[in-house]
Amino acid sequence: MNVIETKNIVYEYPDGTKALKDVNFTAEEGKIIALLGPNGAGKSTLFLHFNGILEPSSGEVLVNGESIGYEKKELMKVRQKVGIVFQNPDDQLFAPTVMEDVAFGPMNMDLPEEEVKKRVKSALKRVGMTGFEKKPPHHLSGGQKKRVAIAGILAMHPEIMVLDEPTSGLDPRGASQIMKLLYDLNKEGMTIIISTHDVDLVPIYASKIYILSHGSIIKEGSPQTVFNDVETIRAADLRLPRITHLMEILNKEDHILFGEPYPLTIGEARRRIRQKAQD
Amino acid sequence: MSMFETTLDGYAHSNGLRDVNTYYKVFFAICTMLVSLVSQSPVVPLLIFGIVTALIIFKAKISSKFYLKFMAVPFIFALINFIFMAIFFGVGKPLLELGIFNLAVTVDGFNLGFLLLARIMGGFSCLAFLALTIPMTELFSVFEDMKIPQIVIELAMLMYRYIFLFLDEVLTMYHSQETKLGYSSYRKSYKSLGMLASNLFIKTWMKGEQVYVAMQSRCYDGSIKTMSETGTIRNIGARNLILLAVFEVVLSVGTYLTGSLSIF
Repeated sequence: MNVIETKNIVYEYPDGTKALKDVNFTAEEGKIIALLGPNGAGKSTLFLHFNGILEPSSGEVLVNGESIGYEKKELMKVRQKVGIVFQNPDDQLFAPTVMEDVAFGPMNMDLPEEEVKKRVKSALKRVGMTGFEKKPPHHLSGGQKKRVAIAGILAMHPEIMVLDEPTSGLDPRGASQIMKLLYDLNKEGMTIIISTHDVDLVPIYASKIYILSHGSIIKEGSPQTVFNDVETIRAADLRLPRITHLMEILNKEDHILFGEPYPLTIGEARRRIRQKAQD
Repeated sequence: MSMFETTLDGYAHSNGLRDVNTYYKVFFAICTMLVSLVSQSPVVPLLIFGIVTALIIFKAKISSKFYLKFMAVPFIFALINFIFMAIFFGVGKPLLELGIFNLAVTVDGFNLGFLLLARIMGGFSCLAFLALTIPMTELFSVFEDMKIPQIVIELAMLMYRYIFLFLDEVLTMYHSQETKLGYSSYRKSYKSLGMLASNLFIKTWMKGEQVYVAMQSRCYDGSIKTMSETGTIRNIGARNLILLAVFEVVLSVGTYLTGSLSIF
């Protein structure tokens, strides 16, 4: 089942420029979907359509098969189902303490205070930030802020989590911690949509990839299909994963072939190399 | 992170008295300040200054260097006040002829000035206690219990949070301007500072919009609902309350007994 589906959405800025052109995007339940694209391609604009912050100029957005209504009550329901984690955690964390920030969403859902406290506690535990309840956000590191921002969304118990560049600005360890967390959440049944530039991480986690360029989706499919189309990837100012690039060079320059299509992850490459060595 | 470690906010969040009940600290500071203000002799305010300073440095473990710097501003203010009071206030017999313009330090001028100095230092040490041992975040919940209008608290909360973000922003911009020699002369400094200010204004605007979108995504409907914190007046404990009451009563009696005391 498709939990999020956009049908031919177009988004125009007031001056008439089209930020999104006929975008058809679907997210299947329980999957991790990656949206790749250069800066300014319209990734964030597309995301803001998923929970009704932006209304498409034409076309429609469906959540759980139902078209989003843009009245206040409907929007509240949609925003509870679709949680967005923004790129810069400082835009998201506004409250003076971690606890108050994580409690913000659930409090807006008019839950009883006991329930809110329970949710805050378990959300912070889930992201590994227990013990930071009373800290103000400016006493946290970048990775910690990101995790608190994720906890703030988790506490609302969304069905779908949308993350705009979740690993940007984090050190490698922090980035892989976040990806691990997302992977675990996905295993528990949450649908996850991420936008990213990190092509090395994408094939490890994502089951479907979209490439957005200049407001249009120019390629979609499994990581294998998408990264096989090297021209499109490079035309969108992206690149192959490092390991895939190495395999491509070995094939083209040195005529050492480890089998096509090129492996996308280190695990897959290792398997191919071992196989070749044994032959 | 390191940037904020040795600031007021840093100390307020990690000091020796951090886990003491917030209301207890607030009551202590306000009551003691009141006693200091009503006192008619400088003895009790100076005593208060001594006790509270000891509490701040030895109990709350605030670095004494930081505390001295913190208190330097009110002290200079109080000192100037004292000098002016001593010279220009009061009639009565002169204590010391200055020899210019017929100016003299009078007895009641001196006493009044010194009382004022003592009261300022006593009261200010209580204020320092409040500022250095209680994080703003906890004061907000105290404000809420004091029935201060929600809108005021919301504004204060947002302002508190964004002070630090903009401070960071300003520093980044300032360093980048310095890198490009923006402050190499007076003229350039003025220009750079103006650019920094206008840029900050635009950034504030944009940031505000982004924050609003992020808040909307979490079902924001126009009012920030906060959770009530666990620490309440009841958690102070009878023993502590009695201790506080005894301390304040002793101080009050002290002001009564020393009411007629003065240096001259």
